[in-house]
Amino acid sequence: MKICVLMKQVPDNDSAIILSNDSSSIKLNDITWCTNESDTYALEEALLMKEAHGGEVVACSFGRESSQQVIKDALAKGADRGLYISEEESDGFDILSTAKIFTQALKDENFDLIFSGLQSNDSGNAQLGLLLAEMLNMSHAALVMGTEVLNDTRIKVKQELEGGWFQWTELDLPASITIQSGLNKPRYASLRGIMMMKKKPIDIFDSSQIDSTGSKNKIFLDKMYIPQKVKETTFIEGTPDEIASKLGDLMINDIKVF
Amino acid sequence: MTEMHHIPTVFYIFALVTILYTIYNFRRFFGIFSGKPESKLPKSFLTQLNHLFRYGLLQRKVFSNRFTYAGVMHFFLAWGFFILLFATTVDFLTARGILTKFLPALDTPWFAFINDLGGLMLILGLILAIFRRTSQKPEKLPNSSLSGRGNLLGDMGILIFLLLLAVGGFLSEAARLGADQPQFAAFSWIGYTLSKALSSETWIAIKPVIWWFHAITSLLFIAVFPMTKMFHAFVVFLNIAFTDQGKRGLLRPMHVSDLLSDPDADIENISLGVGNVMDFTWKQLLDSASCTECARCTTLCPAAQTGKPLSPMKIITDIRSALYNTDNGKSNDKLIGKLITETELWSCTTCGACMEICPVLIDHIPTFIDMRRHLVLSEGTPPEMAGESLEKTAQNGNPWGFPKSKRLKWAEDAGLDIPVFAEKKSADVLYWVGCAGSYDPRNQEVSKAMINIFKNAGIDFAVLGTEESCTGDSARRMGEEYIFETMALQNIEIFKKYSFNKIVTQCPHCYHTLTHEYQDFGANLEVVHHSEFLNELINTGKISLENNDEGSVTYHDACYLGRHNQIFDAPRSVIKKSRGRDSIIEMPRNLQNSFCCGAGGGNMWHEINEGDRININRFDEAIQTNAATIATACSFCLIMMDDAMKVQGKEQDVEVLDLAELVNSRLKIQI
Ligand code: SF4
Ligand code: SF4
Repeated sequence: MKICVLMKQVPDNDSAIILSNDSSSIKLNDITWCTNESDTYALEEALLMKEAHGGEVVACSFGRESSQQVIKDALAKGADRGLYISEEESDGFDILSTAKIFTQALKDENFDLIFSGLQSNDSGNAQLGLLLAEMLNMSHAALVMGTEVLNDTRIKVKQELEGGWFQWTELDLPASITIQSGLNKPRYASLRGIMMMKKKPIDIFDSSQIDSTGSKNKIFLDKMYIPQKVKETTFIEGTPDEIASKLGDLMINDIKVF
Repeated sequence: MTEMHHIPTVFYIFALVTILYTIYNFRRFFGIFSGKPESKLPKSFLTQLNHLFRYGLLQRKVFSNRFTYAGVMHFFLAWGFFILLFATTVDFLTARGILTKFLPALDTPWFAFINDLGGLMLILGLILAIFRRTSQKPEKLPNSSLSGRGNLLGDMGILIFLLLLAVGGFLSEAARLGADQPQFAAFSWIGYTLSKALSSETWIAIKPVIWWFHAITSLLFIAVFPMTKMFHAFVVFLNIAFTDQGKRGLLRPMHVSDLLSDPDADIENISLGVGNVMDFTWKQLLDSASCTECARCTTLCPAAQTGKPLSPMKIITDIRSALYNTDNGKSNDKLIGKLITETELWSCTTCGACMEICPVLIDHIPTFIDMRRHLVLSEGTPPEMAGESLEKTAQNGNPWGFPKSKRLKWAEDAGLDIPVFAEKKSADVLYWVGCAGSYDPRNQEVSKAMINIFKNAGIDFAVLGTEESCTGDSARRMGEEYIFETMALQNIEIFKKYSFNKIVTQCPHCYHTLTHEYQDFGANLEVVHHSEFLNELINTGKISLENNDEGSVTYHDACYLGRHNQIFDAPRSVIKKSRGRDSIIEMPRNLQNSFCCGAGGGNMWHEINEGDRININRFDEAIQTNAATIATACSFCLIMMDDAMKVQGKEQDVEVLDLAELVNSRLKIQI
C-alpha cells in the first residue's frame, strides 16, 4: 500500500490572530504554527494501515518554508518520506489552484491512497481530497471515520452521515479519502523517531517549477475581519408566570424564533 | 561455636561444601557488574566513611518515629547479630591459635558477658519480629520474600532459622560449661544459668548432639545467606559506600542535544532510558539488591496509600528479580510491560517519601524516571493527556498550551506595570513567574501579590515576560528529556543575555530545576524560593506587616520544597510573622513526613484512573486541623488544594492561600 498524506501547517488554535493593516491577511509573526488537526488523524490512519499491511507512507505539504516542520513531525512519527512543495505565497492560491499544484506533484507517484484531513482549520475549504480524486482519477470518500483494507484493489470505509448515522462504503483503489478527527489516537513523536527522521529524505519541489497551467485563482479574497462579539443579555424578572409570558413574547416578536 | 579439641574431618567437608554453595548462591549478585557505568558516584572518601558509620553501623535511618516498633526490633536484631559475629570471629581465630595474645578467650569475663548479651538481644529481636509477622501483620509487609531473592521458607523461615541458631548457641555453651565447669563460667550468665538445669554427666552425654546441631544450623545459615533477607546485611554496606547522599534523587542528564548532533549514533540500537534490566547502571542494580523489603516506602507512598497500582518496593525488587534471572547480564528480557506495568510507573508523583524513609538509601526516583524515559523517548507512549501537555510544552513553552505571546497577559489585564528584562537589561532580582504563575488564574493572584511585595520593598527586579519558557520540570519527570533539555538550553541562553544577581520564584518545581538541574547544562544560578525571600524581607525590615493575630493556619509542606530541598523553617516563619506566633496548627503528616498533593512528577497533567485522589486525601487531613487557612508555598499544591476545597464543598469553611498572598494581605503600606 503506497499512501500519501496531505498535511498543512496552520496557526495554532490559541495563537493571537492579528490582522494586517489592509485587512487582507493576518500578521504572521505572532503565530505559533502547528499541524492541521485532522491531518494528524489522517497520518495516524496511514501509519496504522502501513503497520498492518506494509507499504510506504509519504507526507506531503504545500506552503511556506516553515511548513517543512509538519513533514518532519510526520517523519518522526513514522512516515517514510517527505514531499514538500515550496510556495511562500501559498495563502494566495484558491483551492482549485492548490489542487492543480498537488496534482502535478503527485501524478507520477501512483499512490494507492491519498489521505487528507477533512478540512483545514484555517481556510476550511474541505475540498482538496475531492478535487484530487477527480483530477487523478481516483475514487473518493469524505468524512471517513474508519477504514478497512479488503484486498490490494479494494477498501471499505465508514463515513459519517448527518444525525449520528454512519455508512460503510466500498471503494476501488486508487482512492482519495478525507479523514474526520477522532477516528484514532495520533501517536507521540518519540526521540528515537526524531533521530530517525533526520535520516529520512524530503523531496523538495518549487511550486514555480510545477506546470500549473490553468491554475488561475477563481476565488478572490475581499477582506478579512475578526467577528464582532455581539452579546446582549436581558434579564427577565417577575413571578414565574410573568417571566414565562414575557419570554414567550420576546421569542415571538423580538427574536422571531417561532 | 564451642571450643572442640577434635573437630571431626567430616565437619570440614561440610564446611567446604557450604562455602562452595554460598559462592554459587552469590553468583546472581555479580550480575551488577554488567550494568552501565555510573555517573553519580561519591567523591569524598571521608564522607562515605562517615556515612558507613551512621547509616551502616548505627543504622540511623532504621530509627524513625513512623516505625518505632520495627526500629527497636531491628536494633536488637542487628546488634545481637553484630556482637555474635564479632564473638564467632574471635572464637574462630583463637581456636586456631591466631592472635591469641590480643584476643579474649571464651571465658574472659567481659567477652563471656557480651557474648551472652548478644545472643539474648538476637533472641529478643527475633521474638519481636515473629510477633510482628504473626500478630501485627503490617499491611504492606510482604509475607514471604518478594520475587528475586529466592524463597527459602519465606521471610518467616529465616527468623525461625535464626532462632534455632541462637538457641543452639546457648545450648552448646551450656553444655560446654556444664561439662567442663570452667572457673569464670558465671560470666556467661545465660549459658551458665542454663547449665544448672542438667547434671554435669548429662551435659557430657548430650554435648556432641548439641554441638552437631549447632554446627549444621550454622553452616546452613552461611549457605543460604545470599538467598534470604539476611543478605541485606552485606549488600547494604556496599550500597551505602557507593551512595552520594547529596545527589540522591537527582536525575542523570542524557545530553540529548549531543546525541542528536552525533552523526555516528547508532539510532536503531541506542537505548534511550531503561527498557530492560541491563540498561541500568551498576549502582542502580546494587540498589535493587540492597532492598530489605521492609515496605516502609510502600507504606508511605501517596500513590499506594490512595489505592493506585504502585509499590516502590515492588518496582525495586522487580528489578532485582530481573537482575537475578539474567545470566550475568546476557538476558535482554523486557522489564516494562512484563514485570512492571506502565501504570505503576506513571502513578509515581516523585514526592520522595520513599527515598526519605528508605533505611538503606535506595535512589528510587531516578530509577523510575529512567524507565519512563524508555516509554516516552524510545516507545513514544506517554499517557494520552501527558503526551498532549508535552506537545504543548514543546510547541508553546508551557504545558497549558497557551500562546507564548500571552505570558504576561495576567499583568496587563491587572493593569500592572512590570519591568521586563528585554527593556531593562539588568536588575538585582530576576523574578521567575513560572508557567502556573503566568497562566493559571489561581496562581496569577500569587504573582500579583509578589509584584506588590517587590514594589513595596523597593526591590530592583524585572521579569523575562515572553522570553520565559517552562523550566521543563514536568516534562523531565515524565521522562521527556528532549523537551526538558530544549527548554533548559533555551532559558539558559536567555539568562546569558541579561545581568541579574539572583532568581526569585514562587514555584518549588522551578526552584528545584533551576537550582540543581540547570547545572548540568552549565548554568550556576543563585535561586531563592519566595518563602525564603519573603522571610528575609520581613527579617530585614524591608517590609513590615500588620500582624493582627487572627486566623489559624495549617501549612502544607510541598515535596519539592521540603523533602527535596529541606526548606521547612522559612515558610513557617513567614506564617508566624504574618498571622501570629501561635497561628500554625500542624497536620499529623508534616515536615519530612508531609503527604504529597498529587501533582508532582507530571501527574498534574494526567489522571491515574484507579484509587482515590491524592489531593482529596491531603485536603481532608488539612481540614481536620480546623485551621482557618491552608497555606501552601507551591504553585501545584495551590491548584490541588484549591481544587480539593471545591470538590469537597468547603469554600465556606476554609481558604487556601499561598504565602505571598498571606504576606501581601498584611502589608502595612499598600501601594
Ligand atoms: S516518589 Fe512518592 S509517589 Fe513515587 S514511589 Fe516514591 S513515595 Fe511513591
Ligand atoms: S526500597 Fe528501601 S524502604 Fe522500600 S522496601 Fe526496600 S529497603 Fe525498604
